[in-house]
Amino acid sequence: MSIAGFEVEVDRGRGLETEEMTLNMGPQHPSTHGVLRFVVKADGEIMRRAIPDVGYLHRSIEKISEKVGYHGFMPYTDRVDYVAAMFCNQGWGMVTEKLADIEVPKRGEYCRVIAAELNRISSHLLSVGTMILDIGAITPFFHAFREREKINDLLEELCGARLTYNYMRIGGVAWDLPPGYEEKVLAFLSQFDRMLEEYDDLVTSNKLFRARCSGVAAISPADAAAYNLVGPNLRACGVRYDVRRDEPYSVYPELEFDVPVGTGSAGAVGDSFDRYLVRILEIKESIKILRQCFQQIPDGPVVAKVPRKLKPPAGDVQIRVESARGDMSWYAVSDGSEFPYRCKVRTGSFAAMGMIEELSKGLMLADLVTVIASLDIVAPEVDR
Amino acid sequence: MVGGFNAYFSNIFEVASTVFEGMAVTFSHFVRKPTTIQYPDRMAIRVQDTLPYRYRGILEVDLEICTGCLACERACPIDCIVIDAKKDKSTKKMMLNRFDIDIAKCMYCGLCSEPCPTGSIHHTPEFEGADFSLESMMRRFVKQPVAAYKPKKVEDDPEVAPILERGMRYLDEFADPAGKTGTDS
Repeated sequence: MSIAGFEVEVDRGRGLETEEMTLNMGPQHPSTHGVLRFVVKADGEIMRRAIPDVGYLHRSIEKISEKVGYHGFMPYTDRVDYVAAMFCNQGWGMVTEKLADIEVPKRGEYCRVIAAELNRISSHLLSVGTMILDIGAITPFFHAFREREKINDLLEELCGARLTYNYMRIGGVAWDLPPGYEEKVLAFLSQFDRMLEEYDDLVTSNKLFRARCSGVAAISPADAAAYNLVGPNLRACGVRYDVRRDEPYSVYPELEFDVPVGTGSAGAVGDSFDRYLVRILEIKESIKILRQCFQQIPDGPVVAKVPRKLKPPAGDVQIRVESARGDMSWYAVSDGSEFPYRCKVRTGSFAAMGMIEELSKGLMLADLVTVIASLDIVAPEVDR
Repeated sequence: MVGGFNAYFSNIFEVASTVFEGMAVTFSHFVRKPTTIQYPDRMAIRVQDTLPYRYRGILEVDLEICTGCLACERACPIDCIVIDAKKDKSTKKMMLNRFDIDIAKCMYCGLCSEPCPTGSIHHTPEFEGADFSLESMMRRFVKQPVAAYKPKKVEDDPEVAPILERGMRYLDEFADPAGKTGTDS
């Protein structure tokens, strides 16, 4: 056989052999948003397995709780999930209040819900923004982050920090809403409604984006239950389960909101597009909750009287908070001293991470990025 | 085959129209006000002056009104505050020999400024703390031993009174759970 004058010998005896490749994705990969590593067994472009390797961001936060006491651990909980720190604050506050039998004043609870729902919006904006960025569109990312920046400004005014809030205290919140806060948040929300419409024009109705996400890594409700998926990822599979509604805590029973679920509008139920859409719908529900909160918030103190040296009676309790990444469960054991005996956090990202190996079988390598982004995995939350 | 052709061209048309829809949103931003700010050198006012009152920046201590009660040292979860306060035997006054804050360790949680009885330890809006050595991150507030502040019913010292007034205002506006009016940001 000759090509352009060169003699090429082709071994026709054995044919072309294919071999499984082992690839490393991460720990420093731009689409993993944090330090996250996957060992991918690939056959050409098709993945056979993607094995997540967790542990790069382990900071022994649970162990630290045993050394710093109940009050001092609050700023550390910000670092469990730094994208949605309010829920971690709330979780630690609630678990300690249940241990020590402290009642939070009504206004304190409303302040908590306002802060948490603002944080949920900002976390979901980051999630959908970076998902689209990973898929390949850069403009919507800037739109999402512009709005997120405004929420950060609001939270900064409320609690003095933009990311590691340390806003909640055991028995309530640290500071009341600053003067004129209601007007500022409502003005932001009315402007944010228009921005969401624009966002829908830009992304949700975009045919290219739909085509890219439809049917990618669809999860059945049975699989989701088997792998213990929680939060928006579970609701995208069509399971209507929300801790705020089904195991109500704080003042959520007094508030009216829907629990959006995936309907498979772009392809299969529980695919990547459904997971994206559920987050957008949840942002709209959070706006509803915020508006109701400002109508219903009563006057009064925001924090209960709690001794500086808190010594809860011996025992163990477990509470659950609906975080932006799903059911976040906090478990604490007290031995009657001023330090917790043991504390354990279970987060939504960890469950989602466990599902990736199963989901990635037979997908294209480029789809792994879509799967990670649509499951909204925050690496530090996996390891803590 | 005709149906295949139709689907093929309608697909192209839909994709082109969806791209134009997106571009319409993008082009509308050419006539909107930009939301970016040119930090740090092209700002009309410093960023520090635009920050809200509750902003937790680098810690500052007013030694004139520090009572040496060690409440902040106990509250700090990472022990970045070190205070050495001893009673002088001859003058019977509480003396502050050392008040160090390790800014490299500090996580700006604000737990120290809450229990302070006079508002001596407080957050400033300063946040640009980068430096070349860890040693320079150590803020040593006591240059030579000073007597700790003793709370009086009415502060009459003209030098201390304005500092105490600022400290108490800080406590009222910042750390008081009742949430009295803060300065407008």
